[in-house]
Amino acid sequence: MPESFIATDRAAVDIAACYDAATGILDRRIFSDEAVYQRELTHIFGRAWNFICHESQIPQRGNFFTSYIGEDEVIAVRDRRRQINVLLNTCPHRGNTVCRAELGSVNSFFCSYHGWNFDLDGTLLAVPGEEAFYRNDLDKKKWGLTPVAKVASYKGFVFATLDPSAPALTDYLGWVGRLGIDMMTIDGEIEFLDGVHKNRIQCNWKIAVDNLYDWYHVKVSHGTALKLGFVTDESMAPNDQMVILGELGHGIGGPGLTREKQAEFDARHAEGDDRQQWYDFNAKRRSDPAVRELLGPIGFRSFGHPNIFPNLWVALTRQLCLRIPKGPFETELWWFNYQPVNLPEEQRRYSKFMQNHTFGPAGLLEQDDGENWSHSTRGARGTRSSTLPVNLSMGLGHDTMSHDPSGQSGIETVVSEHGQRWHYQAWQEWMLAESWQDLLANHSLPPEHEV
Amino acid sequence: MRDYQQRSIQERMQLRFEVEEFLYHEAELLDSRRLDDWLELLTDDIHYWMPIRRTTQAKEVQLEFTKPGGMAFFDDDKELLSLRVQRLAVGRAWAEDPPSRTRHMITNIQVIDAVADEITVHCNFQLYRTRLNSEEDSWIGRREDVLRRTDGELKLARRHVYLEQTVILSQNMSTLF
Repeated sequence: MPESFIATDRAAVDIAACYDAATGILDRRIFSDEAVYQRELTHIFGRAWNFICHESQIPQRGNFFTSYIGEDEVIAVRDRRRQINVLLNTCPHRGNTVCRAELGSVNSFFCSYHGWNFDLDGTLLAVPGEEAFYRNDLDKKKWGLTPVAKVASYKGFVFATLDPSAPALTDYLGWVGRLGIDMMTIDGEIEFLDGVHKNRIQCNWKIAVDNLYDWYHVKVSHGTALKLGFVTDESMAPNDQMVILGELGHGIGGPGLTREKQAEFDARHAEGDDRQQWYDFNAKRRSDPAVRELLGPIGFRSFGHPNIFPNLWVALTRQLCLRIPKGPFETELWWFNYQPVNLPEEQRRYSKFMQNHTFGPAGLLEQDDGENWSHSTRGARGTRSSTLPVNLSMGLGHDTMSHDPSGQSGIETVVSEHGQRWHYQAWQEWMLAESWQDLLANHSLPPEHEV
Repeated sequence: MRDYQQRSIQERMQLRFEVEEFLYHEAELLDSRRLDDWLELLTDDIHYWMPIRRTTQAKEVQLEFTKPGGMAFFDDDKELLSLRVQRLAVGRAWAEDPPSRTRHMITNIQVIDAVADEITVHCNFQLYRTRLNSEEDSWIGRREDVLRRTDGELKLARRHVYLEQTVILSQNMSTLF
C-alpha cells in the first residue's frame, strides 16, 4: 500500500496481490470492483457446490423451490421418480424464466412466452406448432431445460454445482463442511419450517460472509441485545474460542469449550446439575456419546458458526443463512429455519421465538449488522478510500493448531481473525485457479502448527 | 351492543371518528419518536405480527403468507415490543443511530366489526423512512388491528401487518408499523 497517494486511473485488481496471507492485509477493492465480481460468478459460484434447499421443503412429486447459483436462477423440483432435479430456470427457446413463484407445486413447467412445456425432469414434452410451424424439424430431445452439472444431498441438504468437474459433494465439504452440517443433526432428524426470511442489504456478499467468523464485533455491533439481556455475554462473547479450518475455504469460528471446561460441565451434569445456562445447555446436548462420536473430539467442543464455502452460514439458532450476490454492492440474505422432528413442544416454541427474533431484517441482533456491512462496502468505493487496506491481522502468528489422533484439528484461542484470513486466502485461491483440477492441485491445506 | 353494520349511520360515524383519532394519534407518536407513550397505547396481551409473504402461482395464493405460530418478521408480545423500544435508549442501536425519520400514512380505514369492547379495524398504510443523507425505504401494506376499550380508553390489542413486499428491500426493519 502506498505511503503517499497520487490519484491516477484506477488499476485493475491484481488477484494474486490483493490478499497477503502473511500479514492479513486485504485490498478493499475486492468489495467494489465489477471485474472481481464477475470473476466471482464464474470462478466461485460457477464451480462451487451451492446450497439449494433441504429435501423436506419439497417432499412431494411436483413440489418446487426456486433459488440461485450466483446470478443463475434455478428450480429445485421433485420429479415423478421422487428424485430432486435442479434445473436452470430459463427456457431454452428464448431465455424466459419458466417458473416465477418462490415455491409451490406443478405438474410441468409451462413457458409463458410461447408455451413450451417441460416435464419435472426438464424434458421438453411439447411445443405449440411442432408440426405446423416447425415442420417437425425441432429435435425435442435436445431442447429440454438445462440441468445443473451435478446435484447431491448430504443428510437432506441439497447442493448443486454448475461444473461437471467438481469433486463429489462429500469430498467437497470435507470433514469441516460435513461437521458444520452434522452439528444441525445432533437432535435427530430435522425438517425445514415454512417461511424463509429474505431481505436485501447494500453490501458486498463477502462482508456478510466473513462477519460470521467475527466474534470481535459482537459486543459493539450487538451491544443493545447484550445490554437488554436478549443474549448473554456468556453465549455471545465468551473468551474461549475455537477456530476450525477446512480445505477449500470451509471453516467454523466462534465459542468453544476448552477440555477443562468440558470436564467441569461433564462432572456437574453427572451430579444431576441441570441448569439451563447457555454453555451448560450446549455442553449437555453434546454429552450424548453418539453426538460426541458424530462431531468428533474437537468438533463437539465447538459452539461456533460453520460456513460452507462460499456463502452458507450455519447459525446457532437452528437457521441457515444463504448470502446471494446481487452485484458488488448488494446481497440478498435468505434465512432458512429448521427444527428437529421430535423436538418437544415447549422447546419448539422457544426455538421459533429465537428464529423470528434474532436474525432477519427485524431481528434484535441483525438489524444493526446491515448498517455496518453496507457502510464497510461503501468504504471500498472512494478514490482514496479504496486504496486503503482491510486489516485482518488479529491474532496472526500467536496461536497453534492442535491436532487430535482422530484427525480433527482446531485452534483453541481467544477472539481472533483466523477464520476471516482463511476465508480470503481460499477466496484468492479459487479466484486464481483455472479449473477444478487446478484448484484441487494447488489449494492450501490448513496450517499444521503455528497460525 | 348491536353488530356494527346494523347500527345507525350516526353511531357508525361516531365510532369511526374515534377510531381514526386513535390511529392518527398513534401514528403521530411513532413518527415523533415518543415510543414510551406509544407503548402506553398497547394492551398487556397485544399480539404484533408480520408474516412472511411469498411470490406464489395464482392457483396457490393460499401459500402467500406464513401461518400464525410459524415463521414471521414480527411475532411480538408486549415484552418484545418494549425491548424494541428500550433498545433505542441504551445506546449502540446502530440501525437507529442516527435515528430514522419516518412518516406513517394511514388510509382506507374500515371498521370491520365492533363486538362487546373490541373493534376490528383494517387500514392501508405507507410507512416512509429515510435515513442518513440519502437512504430511503418505503413499505406499503395492510394492517388488521383490534382495538379494545379499557376503562373508557381505546388500546391496541392486536396488530397484524401484511406487507406487499416478499423479499424485504431494506437492510433492516428497525421501525414499527
